[in-house]
Amino acid sequence: MRHAAEQNESQGHVPEYYEHSIWPALIGLGTGVALTGLFLLLKGLIFPGSLLLLLSFGAVLFGFLYHDTKSWASVVSRSFGRIPRDSVLGAFPVDINLTIQIVILTELLLFGGAFGMYFAIRARFAFWPPPGSPILDDFLPRIQTLVLISSSLLIEWAIWQLKRGNVGAFKVGLIGTTILGSLFPILQLGFEWPHLILNNILTPATNFFGASFYLLTGIHGAHVVAGVIAYGYTDIRAFMGQYTAKNHGFVEATATYWHFVHIIWLFLFALLWQGSRLLT
Amino acid sequence: MAGESTLNLKLGDFGTFVIFAAIYAAGTLGLPKISLLAYQVKIGEIPSAFVALFGFPAILGLTLGQFIANLGVEASPIAMLSPVFSFVGLLIIYRSRKFSTLAGCIAYIVITGFWLSVMLPIVKPEVSTSQAAISVFAGQFIAVIVGYLAYLVTARTLSKQGQSSAPQ
Repeated sequence: MRHAAEQNESQGHVPEYYEHSIWPALIGLGTGVALTGLFLLLKGLIFPGSLLLLLSFGAVLFGFLYHDTKSWASVVSRSFGRIPRDSVLGAFPVDINLTIQIVILTELLLFGGAFGMYFAIRARFAFWPPPGSPILDDFLPRIQTLVLISSSLLIEWAIWQLKRGNVGAFKVGLIGTTILGSLFPILQLGFEWPHLILNNILTPATNFFGASFYLLTGIHGAHVVAGVIAYGYTDIRAFMGQYTAKNHGFVEATATYWHFVHIIWLFLFALLWQGSRLLT
Repeated sequence: MAGESTLNLKLGDFGTFVIFAAIYAAGTLGLPKISLLAYQVKIGEIPSAFVALFGFPAILGLTLGQFIANLGVEASPIAMLSPVFSFVGLLIIYRSRKFSTLAGCIAYIVITGFWLSVMLPIVKPEVSTSQAAISVFAGQFIAVIVGYLAYLVTARTLSKQGQSSAPQ
């Protein structure tokens, strides 16, 4: 059974043992159960019950990892190993546009919820940011904005070069984008956050503005890190010669995700840094 | 160019959309302010003429960029209506690109200038209507015409590149 599935995979099909898998649904339900447990726990309600809910999610995760980790090594090695250097992948087995549209939609829901939380809290205050909030220095965020704009322009230029068949220029652009992308979390986690927290300028405990600030920039920062990892993976495949003028769906998908992360940052920059100067 | 011949959007246009939104928002929020009487000249207005080259993704991008910039600068409900007027103006620039992009740019200045002249005395009561009108129209004119000149240079460069790469 497993052997037949691997044969299918080598012909460009999604492996059968991933189709109709029960684990995504179980993990999804488990996440809901865990969040309910966490909510009850934080509210101090039904302590044993909330603990049980959290543990049940842990059990689902353990079951998934126990079942799935066995195949991870072979999946990774097949991902790189089955494609010889300077060859290209066939067409994507699934429609990459549809896939990235679903990803962007789920991200929109996530950030929509986070911004909804921010505006709901903001609406409860007569003045925003609440009294006691600092006016945030926007020097580093300006640099971060510049970094994101440059990286978005560079990846578009790289894709344009690839479409014209200039693979060398494409690789330069891709590496440049990865380096610029890496600068963003370095500036955030290495300079901005330590400066604000260690100097006690703004911490999550300062007030609701502080809590919202770290929640929103934290979720966004995690997405930037994910984008940088995706670019790192794209770089490896680019240097294995896997992208051509006609085959670069994964690069475009990564770039689309990156652009999305970029636009979320613009909202954060306007609301949290520039907005901290407004008393509304 | 993206969206040159059609108003349909493809996923590949997302980059153009985001880059234009970023140029407007970051140009307005992140760069030093240039004051002209009662009005701040918005550097983000400079790429307006470029919608003639980049099409609908650029129109949507600049509109969203203005919305984001207003979130951080004006934050008044009336200011949040400004992107609607800009959207209409940008659409006119795009539609007029076949006979005169300059005419489209002037229409854009008139539409957005009229709206901002009405809005500014409401947001800032200390500014008179005439003072608002003079400063807004002058500010919009400077930003859009600078962008139009940059657009002309870009369009001619692209046109020359196209001619030189065309088969003889």
